[in-house]
Amino acid sequence: MKFLERQLEDPARLTRLKRWFYAGLAVVALSEIAAPYVFHEEHAEFAFENLPAWESVYGLISCAAIIIGSKLLGKLWLMRREDYYDR
Amino acid sequence: MTVEWVHPGLVLIVGAWVVPFVKGRLKQLAMVLLPTAALLLCLRMEPGTYGTVAFLGQELVFGRVDRLSLVFSYVFALLTLIGMVYALHVDDDSQHVVALTYGGAALGATFAGDLLSLFVFSEIMAVSAVLLVWLRRTPASIAAGFRYLLVHVFGGLCLLAGTVLIWSQTGSIAFGSMSAYAGSAAFGLILVAFLINAAVPPLGAWLPDAYPEATVTGAVFMTAFTTKSAVYCLIRGFAGTEILVWWGAAMALYGVVYAVLENDARRLLAYHIISQVGYMVCGVGIGTELAINGATAHAFAHILYKAVLFMGAGAVLEVTGRRKLGEMGGLYKTMPVTLTLYMVGAFAISAVPLFSGFVSKSMVVSSAAETSRMGIFLALTLASSGTFLHTGLKLPYYMFFGKDSGLRGHEPSSNMLVGMGLAAAACVIIGVFPSLLYEHLPFAVEYAPYTARHVTDTLGMLGFTALGFFLLLKHLDPEPSVSLDTDWFYRRGVSAVLPGLNRGLALIEGVVGQVYEVVMQRYVLGAGSRLRDLDARAIDAAAVGVGRYTETLSRDLRGTVTGNAQYYGLVMAAGVLAAIALAVFGL
Repeated sequence: MKFLERQLEDPARLTRLKRWFYAGLAVVALSEIAAPYVFHEEHAEFAFENLPAWESVYGLISCAAIIIGSKLLGKLWLMRREDYYDR
Repeated sequence: MTVEWVHPGLVLIVGAWVVPFVKGRLKQLAMVLLPTAALLLCLRMEPGTYGTVAFLGQELVFGRVDRLSLVFSYVFALLTLIGMVYALHVDDDSQHVVALTYGGAALGATFAGDLLSLFVFSEIMAVSAVLLVWLRRTPASIAAGFRYLLVHVFGGLCLLAGTVLIWSQTGSIAFGSMSAYAGSAAFGLILVAFLINAAVPPLGAWLPDAYPEATVTGAVFMTAFTTKSAVYCLIRGFAGTEILVWWGAAMALYGVVYAVLENDARRLLAYHIISQVGYMVCGVGIGTELAINGATAHAFAHILYKAVLFMGAGAVLEVTGRRKLGEMGGLYKTMPVTLTLYMVGAFAISAVPLFSGFVSKSMVVSSAAETSRMGIFLALTLASSGTFLHTGLKLPYYMFFGKDSGLRGHEPSSNMLVGMGLAAAACVIIGVFPSLLYEHLPFAVEYAPYTARHVTDTLGMLGFTALGFFLLLKHLDPEPSVSLDTDWFYRRGVSAVLPGLNRGLALIEGVVGQVYEVVMQRYVLGAGSRLRDLDARAIDAAAVGVGRYTETLSRDLRGTVTGNAQYYGLVMAAGVLAAIALAVFGL
């Protein structure tokens, strides 16, 4: 794990790691757009699945929706002090 | 029972009692050999009906062996083996006996062909699970265990009541598809019993309440048996029940929402059990061959990857004694092997290609698409994103990376790593060679998980979920809090009701007191004193009168009675003569 430690604790290397991450995302999104044109193996069940990079967009929206929606629910209603049940 | 057929569950339940009587290496050997034997028995079993016992005019079937029960029995036996390896270092015989019994009962429930033996085995499972919680021996675990028992005794009674109704209506207790009883009370009762065991909200708050309080090794067994045994029962009895489709999808999202709010590592994972079982319940509801295969495959894969995750979080808990994500961080430096194995489980639950979740979860999602259920498809995909967000990103980030807490752990004992390694290997093997799992599913599989579109779609979804995670990271910091769930009703609801009850009771008591005073003092005591007067005047006088009269009478008699024996004899003789005269003359 020395390798990982070097990558994470050195700011310059961490920035490079981040850049690789974004590059990876671009590759994934592009390949998702390209896949149906390269391989004609299956059709989508729903029309929206044919939108370009649909799953990537939906993944990002889902993630944001889950975090924001849950936090709102938690703050407004569900979350209580840790000793709530002990008092 | 035929000699050729030995119940693998019986091997575990009876064999468990060997463990306390042997020591050292021999004990460890027994702990590994028993589940191995059970697994081999399951693997060698041929479909058929075995172990039928006549009981009260009914047939109890202990060995209904078909493709569905076989595939569940494989994974239950395998998990018992993996869990026992993980627990080899634990110096507590009670835990081992209970864990083996728990696994044996899960096998018993799987092979049970009638509702009565199913009921008995689910009760054994409930009791074993409670013991695994109590054996942590902390006040919190004892309280959580009682709550677990409360819920599961209720569920067991629902199953029993449903069984009795079906018995009285049809005269049979065979356990099969319940669709013939749809709409009846028996149908509802048995469905509720299974839904409680499957932790379907709002009946599922017992799961995240109890599992984080169980022992480190016991929790591994708990994650596998109760909920997945319920999924098996739902497939058996309630395939194609429409209400389960939406309920399952809602359940998948519910677990995700609570996981965002959760700070306790094992409780976060527990909420994700609910979320994942949601996929299975949804698949059961859809009920097509693909959906049932998907629910079964996902249960199989889920048991293994959830075991890895709980073993990983348990290892951190055992080594550092910390359970809150907010108190961890920076552990990757000292626990790299644990981290690696944990991540295998995390990738499997997140359905990353080449890991088991990818080949199982997608069957359920595809079955939703195949039956043109758009809302369900979108909800399940949304929940997939949430699964990766928490189990694959949030938990490892705060536990192993994140802000260095200064906590310095070390790798757990080697047997724990071997246990994790076995389960992690299974996750990868299933992911890489899905046909190994597919060939054991209840229906023939035509599903191909590795298409270019499916792989790129999944990677896109996961990648951009990760992007969202890093962008919103500062909102995700775990907070020391608890989240309200339906267990509120029996944890706080009751105490909120109690003061009201007290006031009500006090009022009733006051009224009763008043009534008591009036009735007692005025009427009862009054009547009493009148009776006493009566006693003094009438009864006493009567008694005295009778006494006096008797005295006078006896004084008079004394004059006639001389006390000489010959006179008495003469009187007797006269009497006898008179009797003879009567008899002779026929008077």
